[in-house]
Amino acid sequence: MELMIAAAVIMVKVILITVILFIVPVPLTWLERKIAGHIQQRMGPMRVGWHGLLQPVADGLKLLTKEDNIPDQSDRVLFKIAPFVALVPPFMVFVAVPFGDDVSIFGYETPLYLSDMNVGLLYILAVAGLEIYGVIFGGWASNSKYALLGSLRTCAQLISYEIPMGFAVIGVVMLSQSMNLSDIVDAQEPLWFIVYQPLGFFVFFIAGLAEAQRIPFDLAEAEGDLGAGYHTEYSGMRFSFFMISEYLVMLTISVLCVLLFFGGWHGVLIPLPAPIWFALKVGFFIYLFMWFRFTFPRYRYDQLMSIGWKVLVPLSILNILITGIFVY
Amino acid sequence: MYNENTLNKFSREHRWIGVTFFLDLINGLSLTFKYMFSKSVTMQYPDREKWVPYPRHRGHHVLRRDENGENKCVACELCAKICPCNCITVVPYEDENGKRRPLVYDVDMARCLYCGLCEDSCPEEAIALGSVFEYSSYTSEELVVGRDSLLEMDGKTEYPGSVVKARYLPLAQSTVEAQESSGYDWWRFIHRKD
Repeated sequence: MELMIAAAVIMVKVILITVILFIVPVPLTWLERKIAGHIQQRMGPMRVGWHGLLQPVADGLKLLTKEDNIPDQSDRVLFKIAPFVALVPPFMVFVAVPFGDDVSIFGYETPLYLSDMNVGLLYILAVAGLEIYGVIFGGWASNSKYALLGSLRTCAQLISYEIPMGFAVIGVVMLSQSMNLSDIVDAQEPLWFIVYQPLGFFVFFIAGLAEAQRIPFDLAEAEGDLGAGYHTEYSGMRFSFFMISEYLVMLTISVLCVLLFFGGWHGVLIPLPAPIWFALKVGFFIYLFMWFRFTFPRYRYDQLMSIGWKVLVPLSILNILITGIFVY
Repeated sequence: MYNENTLNKFSREHRWIGVTFFLDLINGLSLTFKYMFSKSVTMQYPDREKWVPYPRHRGHHVLRRDENGENKCVACELCAKICPCNCITVVPYEDENGKRRPLVYDVDMARCLYCGLCEDSCPEEAIALGSVFEYSSYTSEELVVGRDSLLEMDGKTEYPGSVVKARYLPLAQSTVEAQESSGYDWWRFIHRKD
């Protein structure tokens, strides 16, 4: 019976997280267009629903009814599986993400995560890196120069930015003496790690921007010179899978920023339920991503590479050194 | 508001200070943040608002009436002569008072290039280009407008350059009906006040 309840609880949590993750990109697209509009003194979508709130639904319906076009000369198998390969890793990341302390529902004590891995951080970094396969497959299978160039750029970018990202996280791991995300958050109860690790956060955030392929590092889908990057040839639902995956990567990076540097679900001053504090902080980072997008121009490809290797990697190593000295 | 010389606060050899602390990027971010909460300049044209053109706007043609409510046009055909695209057809006749009036006064809106030469050439100030700009149609035959409908068109505008509240009528040939006579000046947020 105990086992049954435990299995049922896990099933409910899995379904809940999956559904939430599928729904989250919907308001995010609306939010992005609204923020874009208001920053440019426009209004953004206004016509579908109240202040355009139903616009993502209309867009989704439109994408569903589009022709599922597969280019003639493409590698059909790879072309078909690429969106799924890109879509699954961001979902897998959230297996290890804790959203709050233990809560009791109907007298049953349950933690707010799916799996309390003791190497959760490593798992997240590793799985998040898998998304690159979807990008490679999509770009290669499309048999289009734009898609291929876009995916080449994405690969180079993701590979070179995963290194400073991993290095930046080491400082946090040294401070909390754990790779378990719940332990890392608990270690921040007295003081958030952003205070101890400003350099680490800086490197992590910039690398995160590049990981999520957001401006100023969105070379992969540089609209001006590449069409749309690796998903140029995609249409309909397959295209929207790529978009969902991109929004989820952005969400992942925001969640990681909050968990590692901004105290997770621990609030300040105002006592709110833990998941709400968590959501507020994540929302702030998502807003930051969008705000950056409509402020900055795009870096050139060689600048991107030199920032990654010549600035961020040395800075992250320096951060490890400093943290090491202080911890010692 | 926006200070583009933040980096220049430092002398040339100390510019790296500003660059290191991303003062330029922070400057840009603060600018976009201010814009984020500024009033948007969108004119919600078909749904809620409508633009009232200036008097010099060259829209749909109008035939004016004199004080007695009679058609001012004397069918001299100067407009038809000067029209560069031959879109005006005038056929004169003599009415009961012995005056020369147009029997037919057709303007082909699809051919017209809205140069306003007909208006300039008219000795009686009868033909004018008015303020109406919503007369799209599915067929080009519908765009040939006759004398009587030209006499009924709205003329020059009274509250030019403003935006008025309006209502979108998708079933009535997709027109937008203005609901007030004077609105706000659309340029108020755009023209600098200094």
